[in-house]
Amino acid sequence: MSESGTNIEITDGAAIPRKRDLGLFSAWRICFFGSVATFLYLIIFTPDPYLRIAKFLPDGILVTFEVTFASIVFALMLGLITGIGRVSKNGLINAVASTYVELIRGIPLLVQLFYIYYALARFVRVPDMVAAVIAMSVCYGAYMGEVFRAGIESIDKGQTEASRSLGFSRRQTMIYIILPQAWRTILPPVGNESIALLKDTSLVSILAVADLLRRGREFASESFAYFETYTMIAIIYLMITLILSKLVSILEDRLNYYGKR
Amino acid sequence: MMKRLLLSLLAGIVLLSGTAWGRTIVVAQDATWPPMEFVNENKEIVGFDTDLMKAVAKEAGFKVEFKNVAWDGIFGGLAAGKYDAICSSVTITEERKKTMAFSTPYFKIRQGLVVPKDSTAKTLDDMKGKTLGAQIGTTGFFAIKKTEGVTPKSYDEIGLAIEDLYNGRIDGVVCDDPVAALYALQKAEYKAKLKIAAVLDTGDEYYGVAVKMGNTEVLNLINKGIKAVLEKGIDKQLKTKWLGL
Repeated sequence: MSESGTNIEITDGAAIPRKRDLGLFSAWRICFFGSVATFLYLIIFTPDPYLRIAKFLPDGILVTFEVTFASIVFALMLGLITGIGRVSKNGLINAVASTYVELIRGIPLLVQLFYIYYALARFVRVPDMVAAVIAMSVCYGAYMGEVFRAGIESIDKGQTEASRSLGFSRRQTMIYIILPQAWRTILPPVGNESIALLKDTSLVSILAVADLLRRGREFASESFAYFETYTMIAIIYLMITLILSKLVSILEDRLNYYGKR
Repeated sequence: MMKRLLLSLLAGIVLLSGTAWGRTIVVAQDATWPPMEFVNENKEIVGFDTDLMKAVAKEAGFKVEFKNVAWDGIFGGLAAGKYDAICSSVTITEERKKTMAFSTPYFKIRQGLVVPKDSTAKTLDDMKGKTLGAQIGTTGFFAIKKTEGVTPKSYDEIGLAIEDLYNGRIDGVVCDDPVAALYALQKAEYKAKLKIAAVLDTGDEYYGVAVKMGNTEVLNLINKGIKAVLEKGIDKQLKTKWLGL
């Protein structure tokens, strides 16, 4: 891997703060402290309805986290397998992995969610949370797969050649030589995809999964405080996303640190 | 090119506003609530409420236009002035009266509990420890939320709740009894597996047409129409037509 590494730019997640952004008025700081300040201001000075809304939402936030993290874990596994499949020399494996990616990327997530949720129900009886996690991971597995593929392909061919000539098998080359190096390239876009996934979990509320958005909608439809409820929901999503993007950037720094100079 | 586009846009606006002079009242319905209001195969909104509103309009002398709006945003849209009225199986409740005005009641219902055929449940309390579904923001959902020991689950549309019940994901569905009757007794697919366990003792509920708080002009027009419709017994004909009563 070259010193600078290769950056894969995927921007549907959230802007991951870079080192150079750490000025006092970086976009991240403005958004984060702005949203925290607004949140506190609203619940302290207008507790009715904002505090009531805030008290109604925690179990929904928990569900959002549960769906997000379970989906990330499975999507990463699926993505790794798909990514390796996409660069496989075996025609069949390659075709299967590529077809899966094409299929998933061609169908909107919302449609996939409906489809998997109700189609699955015809064959197996799974709880709604599980169905939601399956749908999210199947979808994001394809996106992650593309990230993994790009990461693997970013490693210089010479590495494979050297490794093979030293007697490593293809599998050993992938596990011991390619993936450990590709990981650093892969991490930022994976972090980005994970944040995008968290935001997209708001779609599972259509499956009657009681996530943050659905809890908010339940509150709004009973109290008619639509504006106030959606304000709170937006702020909470924003805070979560910003914290996550910060975490990803810290993690990225840690992983990159031995690669620098 | 831009100019022509602008011109045609202008012409469109003039035409649209032209029709509004004949006092058109735009009525929102969440057309996912058969047989009260739903979309038929010709993509038209039809149902008891739709016909009733048309009759009301005819009696009171205004034009009516229907708009299909998702339930959990329907009251917000009324407050925001996106339409003049909601005639969509809206139960008149004290809570709702605080944020909108209601016409005179035009229909009486109760809540019905739909369960699988083999269930022995007769009341909401028999469903302790079970999961019950209802449409978000409906009186059915409020009823199960109030019942202790029951896990409430809210759906965007009642049809999705029934489908989940049919697939065994939940143990029962609570909704207005005409709707419960349609799903459990008339739809061939569901009829074989579902039944109405009980019409619940959560009390009588009355449907009313909702208008924006303070919009007395529209409210008076609608009340006038409803009065005439009830006096002429048109609602009874519609009950026969849509509910088979």
